[in-house]
Amino acid sequence: MIRRNGFTDETLEWRSWLEPLRIAEATPLQLEVLDESHAQSRTSPYYLTLAHQPLMLRHRSAAYNAIMYAPGGLPRAERELGAMVVSVTNGCVYCTSVHAQRFEQLAKRSDTVEQVFDDPRSAGTSERERAIAQFAIAVTERPQALGAADVAPLRDVGMSDEEIIDLLHAVAIFGWANRLMQNLGEPAASAT
Amino acid sequence: MPPLDLPDTDVIDRAAGLVPGDTLYAARRFRAKVIEATQASHDALLEQPVDGLSTADRLRVAAHVCTIAGAASLAEHYEARLAADAGRDASSSPALPAMLQFAAALTTDPRRGDRAALERLRRAGLGDAAIVALAQLVAFVSYQLRVVAGLKAMRAAQGVKP
Repeated sequence: MIRRNGFTDETLEWRSWLEPLRIAEATPLQLEVLDESHAQSRTSPYYLTLAHQPLMLRHRSAAYNAIMYAPGGLPRAERELGAMVVSVTNGCVYCTSVHAQRFEQLAKRSDTVEQVFDDPRSAGTSERERAIAQFAIAVTERPQALGAADVAPLRDVGMSDEEIIDLLHAVAIFGWANRLMQNLGEPAASAT
Repeated sequence: MPPLDLPDTDVIDRAAGLVPGDTLYAARRFRAKVIEATQASHDALLEQPVDGLSTADRLRVAAHVCTIAGAASLAEHYEARLAADAGRDASSSPALPAMLQFAAALTTDPRRGDRAALERLRRAGLGDAAIVALAQLVAFVSYQLRVVAGLKAMRAAQGVKP
């Protein structure tokens, strides 16, 4: 278990500041979209909150799942590294806990997680991980100032256009996910 | 000059200046599902009927987010959509100032996480379903403008390295 700088890789809960949908009142479309979004969404306050707009949730989940889980392209552990660095940069404690766990499961190690919690700017156990972390921070903090110099380190470690686009998608969609998680509710310690 | 509205291009291609035949246009197509779901999100966020949240006001919010973030080509896109929107001349919602304030805070400082901001939206007359739609829209545009900025940086890098 890693706890540093207010971040953790422990399982957290999330509490909504809005009224989550009550499952007994859900329409058939809302149930269908919940089920296609995430395995536990019928009991998740986050998904039940977003389910107030089922078609918006449907397309968000399709984008999210295609970006984070589709086979080929950038290795999934590296997409999770991008997601974790963005979440730490944006201060999203809940998202960080989830994606630190995913990284650990996929990479079968946690050394990079400790480094990201300590300081995402210098994090990375290899040149490739450092290039990924620095690109994730640049896209998050100064999208309009991005330029060739931000892409060059990714090319230097051998990433193809398709892999860079996979990373860009993973990093950008956490600009989306973090904003919802941090502004529609808050993390809470897990009851379990 | 605004980019041409070419067939087989989507909002992100046009905002990033990608055209069919470009290597980056082709590389993007490797993730056809992402392209499709991103464009479908854009369309649903603007067009799905929401009580208390007109399409014109959503376009005003999206353009405001892009302007604040310095995403000029996307701001142009949302302003052009607004200019062509049938509801553009109807008076905007009395909640629009609160919506724009919420959008600005969410865009520039996602760390803030301000429960009082949601209460202000409720007091301005928005229901929870409308607040979810508004938050999704602002958060989506934050994603979209980063994809566009990253693709532009990749284009610039092509000019630098073979």
